[in-house]
Amino acid sequence: MEGISYQRFPKVKIREMKDDYLKFELRETDASMANALRRVMLAEVPTLAIDLVEIEVNSTVLNDEFIAHRLGLIPLTSDRAMSMRFSRDCDACDGDGQCEFCSVEFTLNVRCTSDHTLDVTSTDLRSSDPTICCPVDVAARATAALDPNSAYDPSEQRGIIIVKLRRGQELRLRAIARKGIGKDHAKWSPAATVTFMYEPEIHINEDLMETLTLEEKRSWVESSPTKVFEIDPNTQQVVVVDPEAYTYDDEVIKKAEAMGKPGLVDINAKEDSFIFTVESTGAIKASQLVINAIEILRQKLDAVRLSLDTEECDEQFGELGAHLRGSAV
Amino acid sequence: MNAPDRYERFVVPEGTKKVSYDRDTKIINAASFTIEREDHTVGNVLRMQLHKDPNVLFAGYKLPHPLQYKILVRIHTTSQSSPMQAYNQAINDLDKELNHLKSVFEDEVRRHSRDF
Repeated sequence: MEGISYQRFPKVKIREMKDDYLKFELRETDASMANALRRVMLAEVPTLAIDLVEIEVNSTVLNDEFIAHRLGLIPLTSDRAMSMRFSRDCDACDGDGQCEFCSVEFTLNVRCTSDHTLDVTSTDLRSSDPTICCPVDVAARATAALDPNSAYDPSEQRGIIIVKLRRGQELRLRAIARKGIGKDHAKWSPAATVTFMYEPEIHINEDLMETLTLEEKRSWVESSPTKVFEIDPNTQQVVVVDPEAYTYDDEVIKKAEAMGKPGLVDINAKEDSFIFTVESTGAIKASQLVINAIEILRQKLDAVRLSLDTEECDEQFGELGAHLRGSAV
Repeated sequence: MNAPDRYERFVVPEGTKKVSYDRDTKIINAASFTIEREDHTVGNVLRMQLHKDPNVLFAGYKLPHPLQYKILVRIHTTSQSSPMQAYNQAINDLDKELNHLKSVFEDEVRRHSRDF
């Protein structure tokens, strides 16, 4: 029995890759794998987020809890999160979550002294170690400053607003960022959106299509809510311009039936190929997010392996089992 | 005030096993596995992999209740195999698939960042 394997060998093709956006094709696997990856990306890839706030002075219009919540939602750069510890199982600090292995400290100290409204933003947060962890917009500014060809315009970026101050108001606090996952609280989710769709296969019945007048063709092409088909201006033939624009709405199929031409087009979802789009919050790069998700899913499966003592426990039934199975020769 | 800790959804409590195995008392080669603190992510992927094994006559999973953070995986095999063997085989195959996927994906990222 050993040695037989039902393993698949998926294929990947990247279509578009930016730091916070990724579009790729995943082939030769099934929907359960695609969906598991999507679920892991949304809820189980770790990042850092502010989790503990000690407020020293708060004379702003927002109450302490409100500010603490807003601080939590600021995405922080989390490239190191995979190798960090969860503070609940960190040995170095008895689970206080205040050591370098499991946390990063931030301070914020702002006071408004002018008559203009002062915005307190993510850029006012001072990280104890900016190379490891800082708000994503601050990190983007820092990388753009090193690259003279970058399209980034710092004057357009004003940081993520936490609260606004009037003259005399002050906010002073200390915050601890910790490692966590989206399942615990959505502030730790590294993904803005993750979607996948089945790749559609569209076949036009050319013979049947030729029985249509140009006017009929035009009205059939128009019946699709998204621009999937087009009429070639030279040959006046209906051609598929963008199969992926098809939303599985069946409108063109209904239209063909209403026109008395069922079977005009045949549309199938290829059940083993998927088109993924991944958008990241900026906490980790979109490509790294996918890699981390694969690794986390692998670790999860490793964790659900049967422990040795369960297997041994079954061995005690071995003889009985073999007897029941009728294989005791 | 009396809300349970959020981490209870994914941290296995001390003294409980991650996976427990229950042999069916009436049907030979049938068993159910209780996996603590897992959900559809692992349940569905495991079930689909078990369906690939021709010795598996039945494989299914359920999440008994949304507030009980565990899943039940039930496997029934032919006499050529056993639920435990099928279960281990499925995990091994998925593990290999993910290792393959990871290296393929990393290669593609490298290739893509070089070309563009």
